[in-house]
Amino acid sequence: MSAASVIADWSAPNQERARRLLETYPEKRSAVMPLLYLASLEHGYLTSAGMTQVAQLTGLTSAQVQSVASFYTMFKRDHVGRYLISVCTSISCYLLGADDVLAAVETETTARDGTTSVDGTFSVEHVECIGACGGAPAVQVNYELVEGVLPEKATALCKWLREASPDVVMTDAMQESYGGVRSFDWGIGEEQGAIAPVPAFEPYGSTSRESAR
Amino acid sequence: MSFPLILTERMTAHPADSHRLDRYEATGGYQTLREALGSMKPEDILEQVKAANIQGRGGAAFPAGIKWGFLAPAEPRYLVINADESEPGTFKDRQLLERDPHQLLEGTILTAFCIGANHAFIYIRGEYPKPARRVQQAVEAAYDTGYLGQNILGSGFDLDVTVHLGGGAYICGEETALLNSLEGQRGEPRLKPPFPAVEGLYAKPTIVNNVETISNIPWIVANGGDAYAAIGDVDSVGTRMFSLSGHVVKPGNYEVPMGLTWRELIYEVGGGIREDRELKCWVPGGASAPWFVAEHLDTKVTKDDCARAGSMLGSGAVIVMDETTNVVAAAHRIVKFFSHESCGQCTPCREGTTWLERILWRLLNGAGRPSDIDLLLDICDGISPGLAWPPRMTTICPLGPSAVSPITSIMTHFRDEVEAMIPGLQEVAHA
Amino acid sequence: MPERPPPEMVTITIDGREVEVPQGEYVIKVAEDLGTYIPRFCYHPRMTPVGLCRMCLVEVETPRGRLLTTACNTPVAPEMIVDTESAVVQKAQEGILEFLLINHPLDCPVCDKGGECPLQDQTVAYGPGESRFVEEKRHFEKPIPLSDIVLMDRERCILCARCTRFSEEVSGDPLIEFVGRGNQTHVITFPDEPFASYFSGNTVEICPVGALTAKPYRFKARPWDLEAIESVSMVDASGASISIETSQNEVVRINGIDNDATNHGWLSDKDRFIFQSINSDNRLTEPLVRDDAGNLQPTSWGEALDRVADALGSVRGDEVAAIGGANNTNEEAFALGKFLRSVVMTPHIDAQVGDALNPDFLAGITPRAEIRDLDRAATILVWAGDLKEEFPTLYLRVRRAVTQMGAKLVVVHPRRTGLDDLAAAKITYRPGEGPEVVRKLAAGADTDYAAARELLTAGSVTALIGLTGRAEDPRLAEVVAAYAVDLPGAKVLPLARRGNVFGALDMGLAPTLLPGRVPVTSESGRAELESHWGPLPDAVGRDAAAILAGLAEGEVKVLLLVGADPVRDGRNPDSARAALVAADFVVSLDMFLNDSNQHAAVVLPVDGFAETEGTVTNVEGRVQKVNRIVPGPGQSRALWSILDELAARMGGHLGAGDGAAIAKEIALVAPAYRSMTWDRLEWGPERDGVVMPDGPGTQELQYTPDGGGVRSTAGRLALHSGRVLYDAGTRNIQSPALAALVPDPAVYLHPRDASALALTDSQVVDVTGEFGAVRLPVRIDATLAEGSAYVPANLDSTWMLGVPDVVTIEASSAEEVAE
Repeated sequence: MSAASVIADWSAPNQERARRLLETYPEKRSAVMPLLYLASLEHGYLTSAGMTQVAQLTGLTSAQVQSVASFYTMFKRDHVGRYLISVCTSISCYLLGADDVLAAVETETTARDGTTSVDGTFSVEHVECIGACGGAPAVQVNYELVEGVLPEKATALCKWLREASPDVVMTDAMQESYGGVRSFDWGIGEEQGAIAPVPAFEPYGSTSRESAR
Repeated sequence: MSFPLILTERMTAHPADSHRLDRYEATGGYQTLREALGSMKPEDILEQVKAANIQGRGGAAFPAGIKWGFLAPAEPRYLVINADESEPGTFKDRQLLERDPHQLLEGTILTAFCIGANHAFIYIRGEYPKPARRVQQAVEAAYDTGYLGQNILGSGFDLDVTVHLGGGAYICGEETALLNSLEGQRGEPRLKPPFPAVEGLYAKPTIVNNVETISNIPWIVANGGDAYAAIGDVDSVGTRMFSLSGHVVKPGNYEVPMGLTWRELIYEVGGGIREDRELKCWVPGGASAPWFVAEHLDTKVTKDDCARAGSMLGSGAVIVMDETTNVVAAAHRIVKFFSHESCGQCTPCREGTTWLERILWRLLNGAGRPSDIDLLLDICDGISPGLAWPPRMTTICPLGPSAVSPITSIMTHFRDEVEAMIPGLQEVAHA
Repeated sequence: MPERPPPEMVTITIDGREVEVPQGEYVIKVAEDLGTYIPRFCYHPRMTPVGLCRMCLVEVETPRGRLLTTACNTPVAPEMIVDTESAVVQKAQEGILEFLLINHPLDCPVCDKGGECPLQDQTVAYGPGESRFVEEKRHFEKPIPLSDIVLMDRERCILCARCTRFSEEVSGDPLIEFVGRGNQTHVITFPDEPFASYFSGNTVEICPVGALTAKPYRFKARPWDLEAIESVSMVDASGASISIETSQNEVVRINGIDNDATNHGWLSDKDRFIFQSINSDNRLTEPLVRDDAGNLQPTSWGEALDRVADALGSVRGDEVAAIGGANNTNEEAFALGKFLRSVVMTPHIDAQVGDALNPDFLAGITPRAEIRDLDRAATILVWAGDLKEEFPTLYLRVRRAVTQMGAKLVVVHPRRTGLDDLAAAKITYRPGEGPEVVRKLAAGADTDYAAARELLTAGSVTALIGLTGRAEDPRLAEVVAAYAVDLPGAKVLPLARRGNVFGALDMGLAPTLLPGRVPVTSESGRAELESHWGPLPDAVGRDAAAILAGLAEGEVKVLLLVGADPVRDGRNPDSARAALVAADFVVSLDMFLNDSNQHAAVVLPVDGFAETEGTVTNVEGRVQKVNRIVPGPGQSRALWSILDELAARMGGHLGAGDGAAIAKEIALVAPAYRSMTWDRLEWGPERDGVVMPDGPGTQELQYTPDGGGVRSTAGRLALHSGRVLYDAGTRNIQSPALAALVPDPAVYLHPRDASALALTDSQVVDVTGEFGAVRLPVRIDATLAEGSAYVPANLDSTWMLGVPDVVTIEASSAEEVAE
């Protein structure tokens, strides 16, 4: 089966991205993880069909792709809410009250840690260290970072997400409104962010716009 | 303290736009590359890096020049930049990626030229989309300007750079796990030997270096290895990025020369303990490192001094805990991390870290048993025989022994606090 | 065989003993050879070490002090000092065992592995007395089927990765994999994609705990009740070594034995589960004779043998013929040949039904390859049936040679084969055009085959040559072999399919051969044999096709079928049936009733696999011992004893009182087997079998097909009648585990042919050939040579087609294939 026919249900730009990714690496198998992100973006999460598509694109069995995907926490093999709220509860954030932040997020979103809210708006998860220890406690929304998020700010952030229902979540904008202490000076902000619970990265088709030079 | 800022000068002077190509070039960026490609041979660069004696900044502190010298002659060769920064407490690479990606790229190109690689990969953890976007933009700008691609700056040297995102797995910071992951496999560490310099990516000779290590290369090539070696302490040279977090007044990343004392780092650089509380202990080099307590405050911040004191500088993450900290809960948090991040392939790590985590959880919830202290230490011994430092291991990689550090730390320094949590234990002990 | 340079020896110290060992060998293996067993779970000598379980930790002195390391992946080096029993090592091993046990369910009393479980054994030897683990154990859904054969109990699994490594590294069908991470890691298939591997049973065998179990053995027996005996699989002619295991006189399990020369311990699931057929309720248990009403009725041995002896005695010797014997032992085949030639006095004997490969090619090709030569070959040529379907354990050896030993592979076949993914060059050709392919390869000009030609002339070539399908002209194999023997460093492994066809030919069950690869036409050879046996017919006999023709024409009157079914296996089912009906008398010696012996006058039940002792000869000419561990069912008897008694009734003397006596006679009269004794094969260094020295072929391989090599198909499609592992053969059908795996029949068409015929996938068509017509659904198959139609051989609705050269395909008026 040709690559194009395998992913005929993907958007044209993402088909093109898949083609480019398969050419980027000396061996096709290396494109597995990028393609898993693309498949997640296409189907809302990483479905069985998505894993099989990636297997066919890379010459692996579906079982091999499932094995790889299940090793990593960011390939969600079950439904994910529109906004994935990841609360860091590792040591540095813990020392500065991360458990309270998680509790606030659970309350506001009505989604317990590890679950999705009934209306499908939020998925909540506690995560291990996300490299924001100088700006603890830290939270990510669709992997876009907000640092120095105290419980009240976390509540406000979730409320905003539900009420404003933004199509794009941007790290700089959220930091401005809901963040606090930062790990370092972020400099001028960027106006792009995530369109789905997939890390926002142009080659994986998951950012809100073409990258600014 | 007077020392050059090697890594953070540009972002300190130009905090708004240090990540942009125009700013990078306006502050001398890519000049070193231009000169090196014009007048230096790969072995000249290797000589400078060896002379600099820079130790890898990812955690293992292996001298970069020696590593590059091990490279097997087979072709093709690959360069992989380890930007899978995930050690709890560590966020220095994030800043280097986000705020000065061209510095990393220039280092990458110089290193690739030195080792004869025509394809380099920058493996960035999946939870770092913004740093990844910044690096990707830098890569695209570098292609557009002729710093990457075919015949770079007319030198005849070709280099492609691919930015690759991880999928959420701490273990991929271990270099062979990273290579497996980059090959599209589960991120399980490989047995060594063979080392990556002999059989790395796609079983070809590969150099894997940390973001901070490679970000130093432009300065070293520009100023000479000797100049770099002159900074810092005898065995631990150069500057280093320390990530301060926890109960310090001024958390953040700080580039300082090696050889300060811990007191200077925590109290002067980090501004001391919040709310004027007492220092209880700190993790000196990322969550894997055995903890230090007040008696270590005057120990020097060097590789050798820390090793002598029973710990390490590791990834440069300093996690400070004040007097109010429940150290058992803190240890549990760290052990839980390693249990969650264990790849699961080898028995002692998969089973042992989880068992440790569950016993600590039981202790924290008032269900500790008098035998639990010995049991914890015995499980630790099954992962890291003799509980020595540096650790011996029954495991494939050091992740398992990393979970031992917090437990031996609390048993060494705060055993009474542990015992106090176990119903019946102190009564028995005092009877 | 070129001598391998002896490995360099190094001196090391293990537990204070200074020893010389081969450099580069792993410590675990070296220690074991010295009698020190280092405990292990994940290590398997035929797979890459992974160091996962950590049970084999030892201490090694290094300049940096004593290092704890795993013995399974540490190669010995000069001056190495290894301590396998230090206090540190013992404590570490005890720790590992405790870690493995904390989540293990300890359900040994209900576990099939209990009693032969490495985890259980090592716990007894090294383990803690009682568990210090008071937390809740890890839970998974209890055994879930991974396939129709294999079940997985993940709670018992210790994640040694033997099964996943086997699937990825050895069999190349990674359908079971680790899923999840850390403490949640488990082994499982992909949803709705079962572990449908021809080799899945190996994972059950190498599982060091009871996590993987196979349905045919589950809860059948306890290990301490088992009796076992070594033998050889007779599913194909590759000579895989096996252990046959019984409980209460019933075969309950077959496991592989690591024979370095053949199977490395691996088996196909057909090798492993075919034993179910010998336990089948449909086995023949008493002699049957046809009564006046035409029905087969049970009778006594005396009555049945009288009838056969009478029939044989009532005609001239050369009016008797025999087909079969390729699934019997050498001793049985020898006794059959001797009975026919010296007692009945007929030369009409053929062990090959339908295949008709030249016995001179099969038994006489030189230089003949050994399977081991694959490991040393620069290039491997496979121009034969799909090895994965026809020679699965040989397929694994080719796979290994390519993936691990650096051989390059050239495959020539009419459609995709199981080896294609590994092939450096593949030539797909239409059945019938094979000679043209040979000509082009040999001519050295055609750019089509440049890649293949370059590989085939680059270095030492090992060629595996057989028939790609049943419709292929059997003499093509000789054309290919004649080309291949002239390639640099060439050796040829001739492939014929049935379990002991090479042994049967070596024993003289061929129209052209006397025992020991002696041509019937050799005056001196025949004279030598006559000095033992008395006068023998001197004519070249009829082959199977000619025997059937002779029956129809009345020139052959009495037929012996020995485990043969020419109606199913011949080219023309109807004419084979007509020949059997036309015969004066047909006697069948078999384990089952089949489409042919339904027409017999007498059917005699014979002992089969695991019920008879003797030797067999594989594709290399390697002779190995097969053994008896159970009696045949009911009144079934050994073939030789039946023949011995028949001979006596006919006033002759066969001297085939028991297998051992026959073996001695083989060594006496069969030149190529002169040195062979059972003792050699049962004890000592020759237990892996002995390759009988190859004699030079008796004919030059110079056959050139007529008609320019390409058969005109006149608008029709050339038939490719390829065999599949799980066909509807009797033994598969009588083994429930295998019967469930027989694929749905279909006719495969190239997309362009399908479109020219206006056919679509799944459409039902009538496939018509010279000998019959069948109704099948269409499968579109772009891997098939254009201009051909692939119909898998011997499936329930395909065998009636027979084996015509060409077929016509037409859309059927019926919407569905009748069940």
